[in-house]
Amino acid sequence: MPHAPEKRSNAPIFWLLFGAGGTLSALFGVGLILVTGFLAPQGIGIGPDALSYENALAFTQNWLGKAAIWAVISLFFWHAAERLYLTLKDMHVFSDLGRRLLTYGVAAVVTVATAGLLLAIGF
Amino acid sequence: MSERRPYVRPMPRDWWARWPFRHYTVRELSGVTIAIYAAVLLSGLVALLQGPAAWDAWRGWLASPASLVLHGALLIAMLWHVRTWFQILPKTMPKLILGGTPVPQRTITLIGTSVAVICSSALVAFVLWRPF
Amino acid sequence: MTERADKTIELRVLRYNPVTDEKPHHQSFTVPYTSDMSVLQGLQWIKDTIDGSLTYRWSCRMAICGSCGMMINAEPKLACHTLLRDLAPGPVTVEPLNHFPIERDLVVTVDDFVKKIESVTPWLIPKHPKPVSEGPYNQTPAQMAAYENFSACINCMLCYAACPQYGENPKFIGPAAMAILQRYDGDSRDGGSALRIDAVHGEDGVWGCTAVGACSDVCPKAVDPMHAVNQNKMNTALDYFLRFLKKRDTK
Ligand code: SF4
Ligand code: FES
Repeated sequence: MPHAPEKRSNAPIFWLLFGAGGTLSALFGVGLILVTGFLAPQGIGIGPDALSYENALAFTQNWLGKAAIWAVISLFFWHAAERLYLTLKDMHVFSDLGRRLLTYGVAAVVTVATAGLLLAIGF
Repeated sequence: MSERRPYVRPMPRDWWARWPFRHYTVRELSGVTIAIYAAVLLSGLVALLQGPAAWDAWRGWLASPASLVLHGALLIAMLWHVRTWFQILPKTMPKLILGGTPVPQRTITLIGTSVAVICSSALVAFVLWRPF
Repeated sequence: MTERADKTIELRVLRYNPVTDEKPHHQSFTVPYTSDMSVLQGLQWIKDTIDGSLTYRWSCRMAICGSCGMMINAEPKLACHTLLRDLAPGPVTVEPLNHFPIERDLVVTVDDFVKKIESVTPWLIPKHPKPVSEGPYNQTPAQMAAYENFSACINCMLCYAACPQYGENPKFIGPAAMAILQRYDGDSRDGGSALRIDAVHGEDGVWGCTAVGACSDVCPKAVDPMHAVNQNKMNTALDYFLRFLKKRDTK
């Protein structure tokens, strides 16, 4: 036996979520920020009622809209969680459990909470 | 006779803030801002559930100068994320061999970045031209 | 015509004698140099003319044996491949490779590095073993291109000296061992993938890497160890989720 097999790490779960969030944000993040941060609230190129309550509700009640919102919010959080976890580790901030709760823990809560909100808003 | 007494140098605790690792730390933190943007969207979702009044208050904040500054900062961080994400992409995927030679990593970065530009532009175009 | 060594440069060398020194200290030497002299030649001039006890490793003087790695102005470099004229006017700091214990002066302990290389099964395990009489294992140029750069590693350890995660955690498998792993894993004739993945699927394996990328920046042979580590994150992740579907040969 040339080596003793090391204990398998659970990192792949978080790493794949990180990768999914990183790819989604890299592809659409700039467009999303332009739309929700600038164009829609300032009414640039879009009618003033684009962001009306009725429109927002209709978008969120559509199952496709729900899926998009859920994917964006939760995966963006998972992406940031992985990076913040490793950076806090580099910086020697908090204990390992503290770091995990603050990063992966928050992302998990956000994932569930977003799903809950979307369900509460209804179809 | 010489004796062995290997000397272990301590690792500086703030290496991540120093050259040449500062660039790496900035890259990682630019990725962390993506969650701040997601939190903005999440707060909108909460407002939507609370009803028209809360939603309009959230909309009002979204149009405020403070929000503009925040989104400006988020946009810069996101652009940096896009740039660095596709710089690393060729390191994460298996080596691509085309016609017997490896595809240069710069080419993969260029293609990835172009796809991102197309996706984000398509999203903006879709929103601008879709009649609401 | 021989160039006269009429220019000088100051080398600030980290010295450590395990018998007499509590801890390492810098010592300055003023070294005359010609435009074709490397840092290694500067050290050799010191050893020949000023202090014969100055200790460092070297062999080939042509960037292929991998012995002369050291920190030159805080960057991991091959001393034989770094010219003094490029560092003028100096002073030039010369220290042993970061993250490794110092044995004496510029010589570091390599035991850990050697063990790591051994741990990744660094030899071909033929996919379909056959007797010599059946001829060689053939390979197309494209199949060779898949691993060629990873086979160029000269074991100089510059990448370990550049890697902060190895500095933080000496148990981390590190860049070169992963490059060597990928050299065999990426070989079309090899069938040892499962064995190697098992050696690096832990926290101290590929997951010790945070994609800093300094390893590939300092590698003198364009091995790109960062690529080797990170493409194996994907391989390890696939193995993590698909391991139950795979029939494993456990010999
Ligand atoms: S990967 Fe490059 S830097 Fe690392 S030991 Fe091999 S040749 Fe040296
Ligand atoms: S002496 Fe061989 S690599 Fe420098």
